[in-house]
Amino acid sequence: MTETSVIGAGTIVSGHVRGQGSLEILGRVEGDVSVTGNVVIGPAGRVRGNVSGAQLSISGHVQGDLRGTEAVLLEPGARVAGDISGPRVGIAPGALARGHVQTDGEPAAAAARAPAPAARPVAPPARVVPAPSPVSPTPIRAAAPPPLPKVEARPLPKVEARPLPKVEARPLPKVEAKPLPAPPPARVEARAPLPPLPSPRLPPPNPEARKPEAPRVPPAPSQAEFTPVRPIKPEPRRPPPPVVPVISKGTKAKKKKSHD
Amino acid sequence: MAGTVIGEGLTIEGDISGDEEIVIHGNLRGRLTTTDAVTVGGTAVVGADITGASLSVAGQVTGDVTASERVDIQAGGKLVGDIKAARFTIADGASFKGNVDMEV
Repeated sequence: MTETSVIGAGTIVSGHVRGQGSLEILGRVEGDVSVTGNVVIGPAGRVRGNVSGAQLSISGHVQGDLRGTEAVLLEPGARVAGDISGPRVGIAPGALARGHVQTDGEPAAAAARAPAPAARPVAPPARVVPAPSPVSPTPIRAAAPPPLPKVEARPLPKVEARPLPKVEARPLPKVEAKPLPAPPPARVEARAPLPPLPSPRLPPPNPEARKPEAPRVPPAPSQAEFTPVRPIKPEPRRPPPPVVPVISKGTKAKKKKSHD
Repeated sequence: MAGTVIGEGLTIEGDISGDEEIVIHGNLRGRLTTTDAVTVGGTAVVGADITGASLSVAGQVTGDVTASERVDIQAGGKLVGDIKAARFTIADGASFKGNVDMEV
């Protein structure tokens, strides 16, 4: 069952390859490859399609996604354009990868055979990888894991603890205290101009009464100051007093009709 | 050494073409074209037209065969399809159904 299959260097397969056992690709495959065993793509191997297997060892070119249930290893000279995922992902110096790399996965298969290797930290994101770095793969793997737990642990407690108590305690008292004193002065000022308006209306009917009316005006503002809050609030809701004497509805029409 | 080997548990759906020897122990559906020898193992199930220099069948093959040199059906082998080859042998215990053209 675990017989190794080989696609020779001079062979081109255009179609899907799937099944059990391991597969070694030295030629070209244009189609998806899905096997239960390991997949080795030689330096001259070319695959255009998704490749999935237990452990993928890539030395050739792949245009498609790589999925290894145990590991995905890009050897020097490999060129991969596609997403890479597996419990362990290794990208050696000299390998080229372009795509999304995800190192979590299903370690079930790997854990059953060898728990230790599965627990090993996986290589960092593919973007960083592009071959030029002369660093060997092992240090990269060791450096990658520690930053992850630190980042997650710090931000969570800080954000939740600080903002909640501060925000609730401060704004409430301030908002209530400020608005109360502020509005009254504005309203008092508005009332002052109002009283003079009624005075001019009164004089026209009785010209003789103008003198007595003048003294009446000053007391009016004093009353407004004492009774500021209650009477003033209802007044602003009403429309401003008409400058022209009110004419009851229909009077104009009656006049026009009468003239006509 | 065989250039291409299709293992017992492997299935290929599609065309295979090349210039080297091909050995099949698994399943193939599609077409098989090569300039070298083709060997169909005892566990193989092939549903494909086969073109090659020579063909040796120990498993099951369904499809037309064109060989520039020879076609041999081994004991236990089964071939259904037309054969066009200069030399053609059927071993005792093999089964075959189809037309034969040896005028190449």
